[in-house]
Amino acid sequence: MVCDRYPGYHVLDQRGHWDEATRRVVLDRVHNVPPFRHLDAHQRATLEALCDRVIPQTHRSPSRKVPIAPWIDQNCGREVLGGFRFEDMPANSVAWQWGLEGLDQTAQALFNTHFVDLDGARQDEVLQTVRGGDPPGEVWQRMPARRWWIAVALRQITGQYYAHPYAWDEIGFGGPAYPRGYFALNHGAPEPWESREAPSSRRGKS
Amino acid sequence: MKLHVHLSPNWVLDSEMREYPPQEEVDFCIVGTGAGGGVLAQRLARYGFSVVCLEAGPWHDSETDMVSDEAASSRLYWEDLRITGGTEPLEFGANNSGRGVGGSTVHYSAFCPRLHPSDFRVRTLDGVAVDWPISYEDVEPYYEMMEREYPVTGPAYFPWGKPHGYPYAPLQAGTAGQMLIKGCVKLGIRVVAGGPVSIPAGAVGKRPHCIMRGFCNLGCKVGAKHSITVSHIPDAIEHGAEIRDRCMAYEIPLDDEGKVTGVRYYRTVDHDRYTAEEQRARAVVVAGYAIETPRLLLNSKSSRFPDGLANSSGLVGKNLMAQAGPVVWGRFDEMIRQYKAPPACAETEEFYETDPRNDFVRGYSLQTVAPLPISMAHLIADEDGCFGEELLLAMEDYNHYACIGVLGEILPDVRNYVSIAEAKDDYGIPVAYAHFNLSDNDKRMMRAGIGKAKEVLVAAGAVETHSVHRYAHLVGTCRMGFSPSDSVVDKWGRSWDVPNLFVCDGSLLPTQGSANPALTISALAARMADWIRTAARGSELQKRPRPSDRGAT
Repeated sequence: MVCDRYPGYHVLDQRGHWDEATRRVVLDRVHNVPPFRHLDAHQRATLEALCDRVIPQTHRSPSRKVPIAPWIDQNCGREVLGGFRFEDMPANSVAWQWGLEGLDQTAQALFNTHFVDLDGARQDEVLQTVRGGDPPGEVWQRMPARRWWIAVALRQITGQYYAHPYAWDEIGFGGPAYPRGYFALNHGAPEPWESREAPSSRRGKS
Repeated sequence: MKLHVHLSPNWVLDSEMREYPPQEEVDFCIVGTGAGGGVLAQRLARYGFSVVCLEAGPWHDSETDMVSDEAASSRLYWEDLRITGGTEPLEFGANNSGRGVGGSTVHYSAFCPRLHPSDFRVRTLDGVAVDWPISYEDVEPYYEMMEREYPVTGPAYFPWGKPHGYPYAPLQAGTAGQMLIKGCVKLGIRVVAGGPVSIPAGAVGKRPHCIMRGFCNLGCKVGAKHSITVSHIPDAIEHGAEIRDRCMAYEIPLDDEGKVTGVRYYRTVDHDRYTAEEQRARAVVVAGYAIETPRLLLNSKSSRFPDGLANSSGLVGKNLMAQAGPVVWGRFDEMIRQYKAPPACAETEEFYETDPRNDFVRGYSLQTVAPLPISMAHLIADEDGCFGEELLLAMEDYNHYACIGVLGEILPDVRNYVSIAEAKDDYGIPVAYAHFNLSDNDKRMMRAGIGKAKEVLVAAGAVETHSVHRYAHLVGTCRMGFSPSDSVVDKWGRSWDVPNLFVCDGSLLPTQGSANPALTISALAARMADWIRTAARGSELQKRPRPSDRGAT
């Protein structure tokens, strides 16, 4: 169960201590979410459903929900992402179109309906099948499912989520620290402006 | 022109930089300004040569262009298309490829170990790969120079390879770094704290000391972490070198006598607009790292070299090596907060050399790494593709992870290579295709390294451990060697085929050891500069190597 590990911690409260260039890009991410331009309505709904299963945000109040799908749509305007393309993969925008279509094909094969029309548990079953690497669906004959799942879907969805300061609050990340720097270096101690972890929230020892 | 670039908060590089008209023939045109090209430019300018460096990317102003933000730092990386394949396709971009003045040193963690003497004699000692045409002793004086010029911090006594000491004292370790030290000590494994890393604890010149912000791999806004931009580029400019940024080389033309005459490139004039220009030069140095260097040579075709410039051996682009870089992480009950302090902090080279008890030859180092949140999420996602609550819970433990990077020696193999793909980049230049596989030796070495890193983390108190494969650093694609048939360049980095063409970057390395390559690349550049200074006096640079020169060591 996801819980509030660092109660009361809001890294954005420190923005006055960040340098101007960093503050600009982080606040821009929070306040200026790009409109959808590239994916059609059904693709968009499928993508949003996918993002909700990969990063469930039911523990967040609606105003603190981190938008993910709009940034992925924005990435679909770029052919190359990150400086390379796997030889067995199409360009980034095509990989998303095919992948979302593939989720529908797998959902059809397993449950005879579209991915967005399934409940969460069945959507997870579809995603587990894709994760497994050999899902039913014609798309997955021309694009390796496991590669799409990890290198496209998970990388981009987690990349967007953990780029957001609300996600930093959740994991207790100190965030940008220039020009102030960090001083508490031993025993994982917090800086005076960082929150301590709530003792009751720790996972049990494995 | 008058520069205005922040290299640290209080240091604006505002030199009057000399500019050469492209049609004016300069002594050297160097393509690339990283660990190789930057140091070579500085040396050659000091020796009185006229030097123009073409840099594909821009200057990175530390105040305005660098940010403390993982998602907004793509400007620092080589983000143009490359196609990657093979059974272990390499990832490029932020992983290992810089773009801009200073090259990949802008975002490297600044681990600066030397190679070991054994690295130069792998064929003789272990019967694998190749020997270098030079020995450790040939490079040693240049290692010493670079360790003072970067400068490199570390222990007063460094026990591995040829034992030596470091001139500067190390930074304090953060909690994450202390876990590697603790685990090694518990297991009786020798370990060094604080280096060799080029992040001095005190100010150096106009560079202030480190503030422990932990964003080393996204460019140092402080200017404390070393990059060639802060260590050598200002001096190069001071001595008359021109750093011509946003100039993408696409061809090296050849004259009827078989000598190169300069470099053709696209110069960005504003945003997406660029013009084709040609810088004339008496000699050309390619220093674009192990993907772009072979790409430029292979794209420079002529009737004399139909398979690419300086490629009579067929070895341009061959023997692509990445270093094995699996990341192993442990979850600790106590807090770690791995985002604080530089990721590069401590290491052990106890497993670097061939050990007859192993089922593989050569070895690996264990070094500290400290992924920021997005990188950590990618490690967790990569391990087994988990998602949903499993992923969120694993990430909620972010502050409880300490990580170790296994830096292992992958051996050269001609089946690993860079060639030219059909796809083109935004300039219309055909892009590089990289093909990469692992040998059985590589796989066994990586398995052992991951196992050892897990042992260390458990000894330090980790309650669970995880690992994923990663690859770091790119070398080997224009190797130096003994003869025109076994290599692309001679022991000075000069092409066997073209007398006034040089390679000066990681492509030169015949093998790579388990040491991060930057210091070695810079040391080889400084050595090359000294030879060029002598050779130029005898006008050797304008002659084809005589047959008697070939094979001479």
